[in-house]
Order: sequence, then C-alpha cells, then structure tokens
Amino acid sequence: MSFTEPAERVALREAVAGFAGDYGAQYFQRKARAGEYLTELWAAAGKLGYLGVNLPEEFGGGGGGIGDLAAVLEELSAAGCPTLMMVVSPAICGTVLARFGTPEQQQRWLPGIASGQSILAFAITEPDAGSNSHNITTTARRDGADWLLTGRKTFISGVDVADAVLIVGRTEDAATGRLKPALFVVPTDTAGFEARPIEMDLVSPDHQFGLFLDDVRLPADALVGDPDSGLLHLFAGLNPERIMAASLATGSARHALSRAVAYANEREVWGRPIGAHQGLAHPLAQVKVELELARLMTQKAAALYDSGDDAGAGEAANMAKYAAGEVAVRAVDQAVQTLGGNGLASEYGLGAAIATSRLGRIAPVSREMVLNFVAQHSLGLPKSY
Amino acid sequence: MNIVVLVKQVPDTATERKLSSDDNTLDRAASDGVINELDEYAIEEALLLREKHGGEVTVLTMGPDQATDSIRKALSMGADKAVHLSDEALHGSDALQTAYALSKALGTVEFDLVVLGSESTDARTGVVGAALAEYLGLPQLTLAGKVDVDGSAIKVQRQTDYGYDVVEAQLPAVVSVVEKINEPRYPSFKLIMQAKKKPVQKLAIADAGIDAAGVGLANATTETVDFAAAPPRAAGTVVQDEGDGGVKAADFLAEKKFV
Ligand SMILES: Cc1cc2nc3c(=O)[nH]c(=O)nc-3n(C[C@H](O)[C@H](O)[C@H](O)COP(=O)(O)OP(=O)(O)OC[C@H]3O[C@@H](n4cnc5c(N)ncnc54)[C@H](O)[C@@H]3O)c2cc1C
Ligand SMILES: Cc1cc2nc3c(=O)[nH]c(=O)nc-3n(C[C@H](O)[C@H](O)[C@H](O)COP(=O)(O)OP(=O)(O)OC[C@H]3O[C@@H](n4cnc5c(N)ncnc54)[C@H](O)[C@@H]3O)c2cc1C
Repeated sequence: MSFTEPAERVALREAVAGFAGDYGAQYFQRKARAGEYLTELWAAAGKLGYLGVNLPEEFGGGGGGIGDLAAVLEELSAAGCPTLMMVVSPAICGTVLARFGTPEQQQRWLPGIASGQSILAFAITEPDAGSNSHNITTTARRDGADWLLTGRKTFISGVDVADAVLIVGRTEDAATGRLKPALFVVPTDTAGFEARPIEMDLVSPDHQFGLFLDDVRLPADALVGDPDSGLLHLFAGLNPERIMAASLATGSARHALSRAVAYANEREVWGRPIGAHQGLAHPLAQVKVELELARLMTQKAAALYDSGDDAGAGEAANMAKYAAGEVAVRAVDQAVQTLGGNGLASEYGLGAAIATSRLGRIAPVSREMVLNFVAQHSLGLPKSY
Repeated sequence: MNIVVLVKQVPDTATERKLSSDDNTLDRAASDGVINELDEYAIEEALLLREKHGGEVTVLTMGPDQATDSIRKALSMGADKAVHLSDEALHGSDALQTAYALSKALGTVEFDLVVLGSESTDARTGVVGAALAEYLGLPQLTLAGKVDVDGSAIKVQRQTDYGYDVVEAQLPAVVSVVEKINEPRYPSFKLIMQAKKKPVQKLAIADAGIDAAGVGLANATTETVDFAAAPPRAAGTVVQDEGDGGVKAADFLAEKKFV
C-alpha cells in the first residue's frame, strides 16, 4: 500500500497549480459576476490535455485515470477556479461514452471532450425526480427508426456552454416502475430542444437550466449503447462523478483554508496575529484534519476505481463525497469567521463561497442519500424509504 | 539544429534558504529544489527554436541526485533528453569551476547552440555563461531578449538600460536569456507522462574528462569566508501629513532614487 502519489501525478498537480495560478480566484469571480464562462481557462487547460487526462489516447485523451482528472480539478479549485463542468463533461459523459458509446458516438464526441473544444452536459434530475431517480418520467418512443423524446429536466448545469446534453430517460416499453434508464446524446441545437435558465443565488460561471422536451426528434444513433444495459451505463458515470465532486469540494476547502491562514498570520488586533488565538487556530486545525481525511478517501476511491474495482470504489466514492462536502462547508464557514468583516467583502470572495460551498452537500447526490447508502450497504440497516 | 539548455536546480525562492555552517555552502536539504527561474525561459526558447528549425533539445544539469526532479520537469516541458553531471567531487565548486565542468560535459554532446539563464536566483554571479563561452572558445551573446537563427547565423537583441543592442555571431554559440524573451509553457499531461521514458545520461567527472583538481570546494578560486542572515526589515517611517505630505513623499522617492 502506498500513501504517496506517483511522481507523474505530483508533477501534474504542480503543473496545473502553476497554470491555474495565472487565473486565480479573481479571474473566476470576475467572470462569474459578469455572467461569463471561463472560456480562456477552459481552452488553455484543454490544449494542455488537462481536461481529458482520463480519456483513451486513441480519442485524444491522456490515457490516465480518474485519479489524474480528480487531481486536475482539485488543483484548479484550490487555486480559486472550481470548474464544475469537469465533473460533467469529461468525468461523467466522457466515461459513459468511452465505456459504452458506439464507435460512431465515440468518434463524434470524445476528441472534443478530451480537448475541451466540446462540452457535454448531463441531465438526470427532474422536478419530481431528484434524490429518487426511480421517478424519472422523461420517455423516448420509437417513430420509425427515430426516437421522440419528451420530458422535463431541472438544475442542469452548463447547458449554455454545452454542445450536447447526455439525457437520462426511459424507453416507452419501460416507462414506469423501477428505473430502467436509456441514455441519449442530444445536441443543444436539436429542433425542439428548449432550455430556460433557472435563477440561482450562486456567484458562479456555471448556470443551471430547466429543459423542456416535447417530442424532440432524435436519430436512432442518439441512444447510447444497448438499451437493456442502461443501468450499467448510468452507474459507470456515478463513481467518477462522486470522485470529481469530492475533488472540487476538497480543492475549494483548500482555497478557503489557505485564505484564512494567510489572513490569520497577517492580521493583528491585540498586537499579535489573530492566528495566535486558539479560538481561531483550533477550528482551522480541525478543518485541516478533516480536509486531509476527505482527500485521502477521495484518493482511495479513485485508486479503487482505476484498478477496475467498481463496487469497492462505490462505497469509498460516496464516503469521500460526503466528507468532502462537509469539510468544504466548514472550511468556508471558518474562513469567513477568521476574516471578520472582510469575510463578507466581495474582494475576498468568501461571502459568495458560503452559497457555492453548499453544493457539495446537495449535488450530485445529497448528504442524506449518501448516509442512506452507508446505513444500508455498509452497515446493513433496514431501508427507510 | 541541436540545442543544449543549461538547467540549474536552485532552492525554491518561496521557501527559506539556508547556508550550511559546516563549509559555508548551500544547505540543499533545507529547502525544495526547483528549476532556476530564468532557466525555464531558456528551456522555452530552446523549444521554440526546435519547433522552428528542427533538431533536438538536450538538458544539461550539474548538481546532486535531487536535481533529477528538475531534469524531469525540463523533460516534461518538452526537452528530448538530458545529461546529468553528478559527482561528490563537484561539491562546493564556484562559478568558474562550474563553467569549466559544464564545458567538459558539453564535450560529450553534439550541439549548435547552448542556451542558459543569464543569472541564477541563489548564487547570482551571472558569470557562468561568459566563462563557459571562454572555455569552449565560442562566441557569447548575453542578456538576450530575442533570438533569431538563420542558417548558421544567430542574431539576438541584447537588453540594455537604454533599450537593446543587436548582436550577431556564427553558430555554434552560447546565448544567455532574460525574462523578457518569452513566456515559459506549462507541461502538458502527455509530456508529463512521457518524461520518465526519456533518456537521462548520468556522468561522473571521469566520464566527462574533468580534472578533479580543477573542481570542488578545496580547489575553488573563490571562497565564502563568512555569512550572515539578512537583517530583519526595519519599521517604516511614518509621515504625518500636515499639508506637505505630497512634498515629503516626493522627497522620499528622490532620496531613494526612484524619481
Ligand atoms: C448548482 C446545482 C447544479 C446541479 N447540476 C445538475 C446537473 O448538471 N445535472 C443534473 O442532473 N442535476 C443537477 N443538479 C441537481 C442535483 O443533483 C439535485 O438537486 C440533487 O440530486 C437533489 O435533488 P432535489 O433537488 O430534487 O432534492 P430532493 O430529492 O427533493 O431532496 C430534498 C431534501 O430531502 C432529502 N431527502 C430526500 N429523500 C430522503 C430520504 N430518503 N432520506 C433522507 N432525506 C431525504 C434530501 O437529502 C434533501 O435534503 C444540480 C443541482 C444544483 C443545486
Ligand atoms: C555561499 C555559497 C555557497 C554555495 N554552495 C554551493 C554548493 O554547496 N553546491 C553547489 O553546487 N553550488 C554552491 N554554490 C553555488 C555555486 O558557487 C554557483 O552557483 C555555481 O557555481 C554557478 O554560479 P551561479 O549560480 O552564480 O551561476 P550564474 O552565472 O548566475 O548562472 C547563469 C546560468 O548558468 C547556468 N548554470 C549555473 N550553474 C549551473 C549548473 N550547476 N548546472 C547547469 N547549469 C548551470 C544556468 O543556466 C544559470 O541560469 C554556492 C554559492 C555560494 C555563494
């Protein structure tokens, strides 16, 4: 067992940290407040191969693992640039297509995802199917060789910058009951595809959308893989999604913590740095402990996933996502407190992080649903719902 | 065109740097090693020249085993291979001896151009380039802010206080670069993964034909006699503005020769 990352992973972190440092929190905040996307950062990161490290080399990816992609996202987030679409495009959509897409789908989408020139969004959540995805009602019915897709999705991130959305629905013959999902790649310029922005109280370059699909006509080859194994396809994306969500959260926690520590070392109120007071030092130390534990579990989940152990990775990825979501909230909370009034001044960007740091507790799967999973699968307690 | 880039590993300027009191040399264990900043610009320039004119870029480093990290980083930026000159006998060499040792190591590589930083961030003598050119008997083009190669002719803009001089020479030559010259790239994921497969040739002094009597602390032409920590920053002067704040500020700047 090794508790150090391979030299290449360390070098990758160092390279990404240097790269992200050229942008930093100010760039991110400026873009977010102007309602603009991180276009420059995304394009430059794509050129350096950072956005597609996990994808197969034959499609222009780096041939690395989810652990490498997670390292990229953590470093970007730690530099103040949490790029949410990395969770969605290369990690969820890229993984699903690389593992189960038809050769044509792979040719069409993977090189773009790997280089960052294309972005794919992912849509599973519906107004009446968030935590309970068995309630999904988006349905595809056959019309000749085509599919007609009808349904509603909500809180879908990045549709404004996406070239296509990977939509989770059902086929008509499995329209009710336990979810037997069917995944469709729907280009955002498809006739009848409608996306409306949802107003969010988040300072973020990533915007959320409601999707309205009314008999949207899709060619036969919009369906990903074999409809009888749709659940397998969906699950393939879940571990990468959780590992990435955890990495975004630990990176964001690192960012908040480093801001707090820098401030606590500088700011003097009673003739000595405020960091000398244990009332501030201990909570920050506690955040550091919880942060390192969350990072360790995230790395474990990634290592298990990359070794091919999907089942083992599942438990670790859920626990990592839980721990990371919690520490992100606590790190921001304590950072705001450490900065006093400046904790809420726009210049420091921490006030906005109070809202964005909650994301890791809610999405892609809520804290409570992770605890349900652990209670049921890790502890063998009865299912409550 | 084959290019050798000289890369020195130096203590990270972001961390505390210490000298060892045993022999007044740098305590390399005390801080993380990184590529000397200007050498990153030298690597970048070599890569740009390779992209234009073809050939290979070789990294040459003289330094202890830990310098491998910096070599790896240089290779992940895109250099093709490396030569690592490492020998206990080199410990404590001064700038002149370093230039001598590097000139000998260069004898093991075929090159048309040597590119190096104009100054290191640790010892900061800024003489290795010039001394090296003397040892090799090659033209030196220093403080380059721009480099153009046309066939066997090389032309650089040499940065000066008043602007720049245009300096020309015939290859092979030695060029030292300044920050202005380019913007060093970040290593791509692919190159990071390839770096460990690239050849790194280790040389001991005998392999390069270096005379042991010409290198090392005992034979150094300069000696560090003593050292002291930089004095802590003194408290600044507080000027009360009694309607003459502007004048006082201007006087201060004039006194410090800023204006
Ligand atoms: C910023 C943002 C971006 C998002 N991006 C995407 C995206 O790109 N694609 C996408 O598909 N979705 C996206 N989502 C949706 C997200 O995945 C859902 O919000 C999340 O899964 C929770 O679903 P819900 O909002 O419907 O909450 P609900 O399911 O309504 O849950 C409400 C509350 O009830 C709790 N709860 C529910 N069931 C139980 C139970 N059995 N036991 C205990 N507690 C329970 C939940 O934990 C939660 O606290 C995004 C959400 C946000 C906020
Ligand atoms: C007090 C003191 C203690 C020292 N202790 C040690 C010690 O223990 N061990 C030690 O190795 N050095 C030590 N040195 C450093 C050593 O004397 C010089 O750094 C070295 O000889 C080169 O001089 P420079 O760094 O000033 O080169 P500069 O002329 O400032 O550097 C210009 C360029 O030369 C190239 N270059 C310089 N050195 C190398 C190298 N080694 N390999 C490849 N390229 C190079 C780089 O491209 C660099 O940008 C010490 C220096 C001082 C002042």
